[in-house]
Amino acid sequence: MKDNYDINNYTYDMDRCIGCKGCVWVDHVYMSGVRYGVKCPSNAYKLFDGYAPMGRLKIGKALMEGTIDYTPEYLDIMYMCQQCGACDVGCKRNLDLEPFTVLESLRVKAVKDGQGPMPAHKTVAQNIADKGNRYGASEDRLGWITDDISVGDKADMVYFPGCSASYVEKGIAQATGKILNKAGINFMTMGDNDSCCGHPVATCGMLDEAKAIARKNIDNLKATGAKILVTSCAECYNTWKVIYPKMLSKNTSDMGYEVVHLVELISRLVNEGKFEFSKPMNMRATYHDPCRLARQGEPWVEWEGTRGKYGILEPKKEYRRGTFGCYQPPRDILNNIPGLDMVEMPRMKENAFCCGAGGGVMDAYPDFAKWAAKERLTEVQSVAAEAVISACPYCKKVFNEASKENNMNIKVYDITEIILACM
Amino acid sequence: MGIPQEAYQAIEDIVGSQYVTDDQVIAQAYVGRLGHGKDTGIDLDMNVPPAVIAMPRTTKEVQGILKIAHRYKINYVPASSFWISHCAPKKPDSILLDLKRMNDLTIDEENMCAICEPGVIFSQLQEEAIKRGMYTTTPGGGSQVSVVANHINWGLSPLNYRNGVPGRRVLAAEWVLPDGELLKTGSLSMQDDPFWGEGPGPDLRGLLRGWIGWFGAMGVVTKLAVKLLPFHDEGLTPVGITPHTTLQFPEKKRIRWYNWSLPKRDDLVECMYDIGKAEIGAALTKVPIQWRYIAKAGCREDFWEGWNTQEARDSLGNMHICRVMLVGYTSEEQLEYEERVLTDIMESYGGKLGRTRQSDNSWIKNADSATMWMMTGAYTSVQVTVDTLDCGVKGGEGLAREKPAFTPPLMDDYGEPGWFQVSELGHMGYIEFLQYWDPNPDQENLYKKDEWNYIKVPTLDAEWGMFNAFNIYASPMNLTGKAYGPECRKWFEKVKAEFDPDKLSNNPIPWDVDKYVDQVDWVNKEDYIDRDWSKG
Repeated sequence: MKDNYDINNYTYDMDRCIGCKGCVWVDHVYMSGVRYGVKCPSNAYKLFDGYAPMGRLKIGKALMEGTIDYTPEYLDIMYMCQQCGACDVGCKRNLDLEPFTVLESLRVKAVKDGQGPMPAHKTVAQNIADKGNRYGASEDRLGWITDDISVGDKADMVYFPGCSASYVEKGIAQATGKILNKAGINFMTMGDNDSCCGHPVATCGMLDEAKAIARKNIDNLKATGAKILVTSCAECYNTWKVIYPKMLSKNTSDMGYEVVHLVELISRLVNEGKFEFSKPMNMRATYHDPCRLARQGEPWVEWEGTRGKYGILEPKKEYRRGTFGCYQPPRDILNNIPGLDMVEMPRMKENAFCCGAGGGVMDAYPDFAKWAAKERLTEVQSVAAEAVISACPYCKKVFNEASKENNMNIKVYDITEIILACM
Repeated sequence: MGIPQEAYQAIEDIVGSQYVTDDQVIAQAYVGRLGHGKDTGIDLDMNVPPAVIAMPRTTKEVQGILKIAHRYKINYVPASSFWISHCAPKKPDSILLDLKRMNDLTIDEENMCAICEPGVIFSQLQEEAIKRGMYTTTPGGGSQVSVVANHINWGLSPLNYRNGVPGRRVLAAEWVLPDGELLKTGSLSMQDDPFWGEGPGPDLRGLLRGWIGWFGAMGVVTKLAVKLLPFHDEGLTPVGITPHTTLQFPEKKRIRWYNWSLPKRDDLVECMYDIGKAEIGAALTKVPIQWRYIAKAGCREDFWEGWNTQEARDSLGNMHICRVMLVGYTSEEQLEYEERVLTDIMESYGGKLGRTRQSDNSWIKNADSATMWMMTGAYTSVQVTVDTLDCGVKGGEGLAREKPAFTPPLMDDYGEPGWFQVSELGHMGYIEFLQYWDPNPDQENLYKKDEWNYIKVPTLDAEWGMFNAFNIYASPMNLTGKAYGPECRKWFEKVKAEFDPDKLSNNPIPWDVDKYVDQVDWVNKEDYIDRDWSKG
């Protein structure tokens, strides 16, 4: 069975990068000018090319060839990245290399070599191992469920709120529960087996631990009998839909369950006229595409084969280029809310600038995470929006912190809160 | 190794500790292996990591760094978007000036020009220009290349048919000479207005750029004013999701693409001349057949499925496509008039109008040069002759006859004689001969792609009397210009000796090809380098 995280499978991708910086620049068709021309947060923050994905490929290759060894700077280069995937869709516009998977695999290699992850990641991993959540919290994980939320004992659909909505952003989980109730969708939870999806350990390269969590969660989902897993968290969505099959070398379609984000469910109903908004929201707002829901939201398609002359793959590979990410459903919802004046930011959809929180950056490099969030909020201001709406609790948290710390006076919402307020 | 500690400290004092590093992990990101020239012999054998990378923000900071380099005799390499292997460090213990922080862009709408720093790229300039009813030529090098670097280097595109080659669009410059002294050219030499390129006295643009430029071997241009040209005022709308993003043309008939298929290559050439004589059109080019297959392919495997067919092989003799863009600069009526003229010309040669999308994703704002690497993983252009179109086509056809002896390792393109077009309303022809190869180092005789690039093509150019313009990045200076008598080498040497006697600015450019062919064992120097060209 092919190991999708073995860096030796990606030497071609590291060597064939031509340095066009499609990984860094916004798609030139959508280029809006100098100010918001870069979509890679780490290369916007640390300007040396070593912090650009194209630089990481060269540096990774140099490590593999023994030209360089692990150093603190090397580890910073590999871990000061949100793994937002903007590089991947940019590269695959022209060249079909795999810069995102290369970085994931270099982190896995760093862990295997005893060099990674960063200390803060180890703390989070330990919390998950000890308490089943990234915060190390001991309280009831299902404490978000209030009396006015109806949760079924048995249902075809499991709602998986994730650590953040279970402990920190409980309003998101509560809004999700109420929206599902209002939509007449019967759902259950994983009950006592509800636990962290494993995203933090997977992204920092702790592959063995992440696989163990994946297997346990998949077994627990199977035990419920449900076939659909709904999330309100982009990271959980991506973990169940993409990372689990990728780690286990399977297709998403062969996992035996379907993963949907709440926005996909509700937008379908909205477009069919089965879900209406009765209350207006008089506000000018912009939508921030969470990386792991949008450009990284395509299903995983397993490929195994060989690379021949001219780099031709046999059999042909089905690339994940970000084309079929979840971009339109949240927009369909928001555009149907009366009074809500939605405006797009210069960097949107597959070119969106990450909120800054992902890829373990919020844990290991909080200053960088908040810098990226502030950078994104300046873009919110540039289109004269008073609010930013996302579909991931981690975006909401880091945006809120950056807005407050920098006195930016921008309202930050999760889309579930907007839907709930307008029902 | 590295640079003296006191020199490093001085650079740190200039740019700040955040913007200078001697970290050798970061330096690996700057070891060549990029853009034009990637995987050629020079890239693989000569490029080395820089000792120090510095990121200046201002002209004054650039001056400071160059003066320190001069003081300590340190080689330095300026890099803006870092997209040509020629401009990567080739000497150990070099300073690389990463100029991406210098990204100020000012549009002077009234005088129709843009004042750019080296970190500004073409898609950024084009966006700002189009917003204001103007445009520039995004070059074949790609939307991601530096406006400054490309204007003082090359910059070919079908849009040059009307806009002229970049040398015609260069206005005043702020230029830090190799020793760190500041030279302002054109009207900047007299006042804070970059609108004039000429200025008082001799026109120094020839020294700065000449026909092809210095590739960083003559200091650093920190500011350059470039002409913008009038465009239609209906704008272009970005649509689609990656990888199918494109600029949608407006509904009003202000801009249109046309693909005309001509019976023979001669007809294609003649109709290009006629279109130029009629002074219609905004862009004009031949479409090489492999580009058509790239455009239709969803991935490399798709390309090869299409390319490995008899239909593709036959298309070389049967398919002569002239791609024309018309713009109604002033009105829809202008475009309608030009369309009638174009139709008359094309039909007089037996042309047939094919279908094409009324959008653009490859020339106006997005020039996806990276796609050239999609087919085989390695690509470069040679010859790049600028002369009459007849001359260019003759050169391309000649190279196509010679290429089979170097195929493999070069990819078999069925005798395709290159990409040609006219510039400046037909006054100038242009050909770029494209080659692709598999860069896998395990192949037998892989060196032959370098023999072809560095020796065979420049020699044939000299034999045939082609004015070989662009080739100083692929041709020994020893061979460049010999077909016309004067040797470029001597001219470059004299200028370099005057301005950079210690050869600190991106040494050994522009003699890196000479140096390279001197050191490899597969060159028969008697046949090539030592040949007495005065005897023909």
